[in-house]
Amino acid sequence: MKPWLRKGKGLVRGSAHGEALVSRRAFTFAHGVDPATGVVTDVRSDLRGMNVKGKILFYPFGKGSTTASSWFLETVRLGNNPAAVVTEAADLSAVIGSVMARVVYGKEIPVMTGVPRTAYVGLNSGAKVFLDTGKGEVRAEG
Amino acid sequence: MHLDSAQEKMLRGEMGEAKQFAMEIVSRVGDAVGADRLIPIKSAHVLAHYSSLHDAGVEVLERFASSGGRFAVPTSVDPASIDLQNWRSFGVPEEYAGQQFRLCDAYAKMGGMRCWTCVQYQVCNFPKEGDVVAWAESSAVVFANSVLGSRSNKITAGMDIACAILGLTPRFGMLLDENRRAGVTFKLGMRGLTDLDYRSIGFFIGRNAGARIPLLDGLPSSVTSDQIKHMGAGAAAAGPVTMIHFPGITPGSRTAEEASGGEKTEEIEITRSSLSDVESDLNQTSELPDLVAFGVPHLSANELGELARLIDGRKLKRGVKMYAYTSSQAYDMAERTGIATTIEGTGARISHSTDAEISPLKALGFNTVLTNSAKLAEIVSSEGEIRVGYASQKEIIEKVTT
Repeated sequence: MKPWLRKGKGLVRGSAHGEALVSRRAFTFAHGVDPATGVVTDVRSDLRGMNVKGKILFYPFGKGSTTASSWFLETVRLGNNPAAVVTEAADLSAVIGSVMARVVYGKEIPVMTGVPRTAYVGLNSGAKVFLDTGKGEVRAEG
Repeated sequence: MHLDSAQEKMLRGEMGEAKQFAMEIVSRVGDAVGADRLIPIKSAHVLAHYSSLHDAGVEVLERFASSGGRFAVPTSVDPASIDLQNWRSFGVPEEYAGQQFRLCDAYAKMGGMRCWTCVQYQVCNFPKEGDVVAWAESSAVVFANSVLGSRSNKITAGMDIACAILGLTPRFGMLLDENRRAGVTFKLGMRGLTDLDYRSIGFFIGRNAGARIPLLDGLPSSVTSDQIKHMGAGAAAAGPVTMIHFPGITPGSRTAEEASGGEKTEEIEITRSSLSDVESDLNQTSELPDLVAFGVPHLSANELGELARLIDGRKLKRGVKMYAYTSSQAYDMAERTGIATTIEGTGARISHSTDAEISPLKALGFNTVLTNSAKLAEIVSSEGEIRVGYASQKEIIEKVTT
């Protein structure tokens, strides 16, 4: 795979690395991810059956219930949370979920936005991804 | 984000532990979203149901309540995960109810209104045009922004309680004029819209607006506020929608031009075939359900009356349960007017203070749910454990009663 690098805006600061998990559809943790396993259950998600645990999770924008941040926080409590979240448009539930993770459980889960779906070309689920909000970039290695 | 000296004190813990915890959350979120400062809110609406808050949410609410947290503004609460009065007769496991009651106790301790409804704007929390509020409940946020002309971001769990305790929210997003302008126009070309159509229209808008603020052109003046409620709920379930401009209804948006600030927007036509697509997406089974659920979001007293009119004199088929979900306040009214007796005489039940999408449906033994709620159909199918059918109230009643 060719080197892949995109600039983004860090919303919740930090750095992370892990495998990419890339959705091209609206995404939510609420009723859509099983906190006990980290597995995506949402039938309308292109990630159904995949696991978010330890992944750099990419999706364009959120959807649905305002409970999403508590579903997110429960995955954190159970150790099944993604390592970082990258979106096209800011998803407030990911921001709040990540802030709660930091304040309640002392875990850092950076959140970056401004990386459009069109930039996913050449980025596949499973690629090794490094994210650093300090540099404002996310890059992938084959 | 700038904090004034009183807010700095809160952050340092000089105003007590609960305010410090709240300010830590709110200031971090404010920084993340690029807010310049905190502004006062007129009311809050928060979440305290176990099915979605899970054990982490119980920890958070109890931490707020036990460290002296008290709501600084009028605060309403979303439905619980169980019927708080009749949970035993609905078959809720004891342990599950116990966790819900921990949340209820923590919420009550902080001084919230015990309304347990997702339609607080039809029951107890009525902001006026221009009021800034911090509301959770995606469907209510759409109603607040689109119909009441008040301003709310879609405040999600954890942050909701923090804003209610501080009486403050970061100034960003939907609180600012420039972010409220319509960015995409949906055009309704057809006439003769049914009640189900409004729900499907909402879902279609949510699916296709992306992160843009939608405008819906061509809404007939016969539309009711209940229909708008369900349309907004469908939209918010399918996408990141926080507001829909309805020219002539939405305060400040008398015309499409006013809603978009004169900018040209992409136009998407909503046709009969768009709605059929939504219906076939949401309607995944035609089998006889073991649960019919009406009222996601909660039915108003008017809607309970309409249900009574449609179902009067019929009997539910064996093996089918029918729950109409509503607020305790609308239930009281239905009881006083005989509507409740009519509905319950068919074998159906009215469940109040809870709602289907946040009930432990699987644990209650349900495998197939039939509903006219696009929001419920989306949510139930997302969890992937229960088969779901989507049809109009009338069709459903025809199917499951004799």
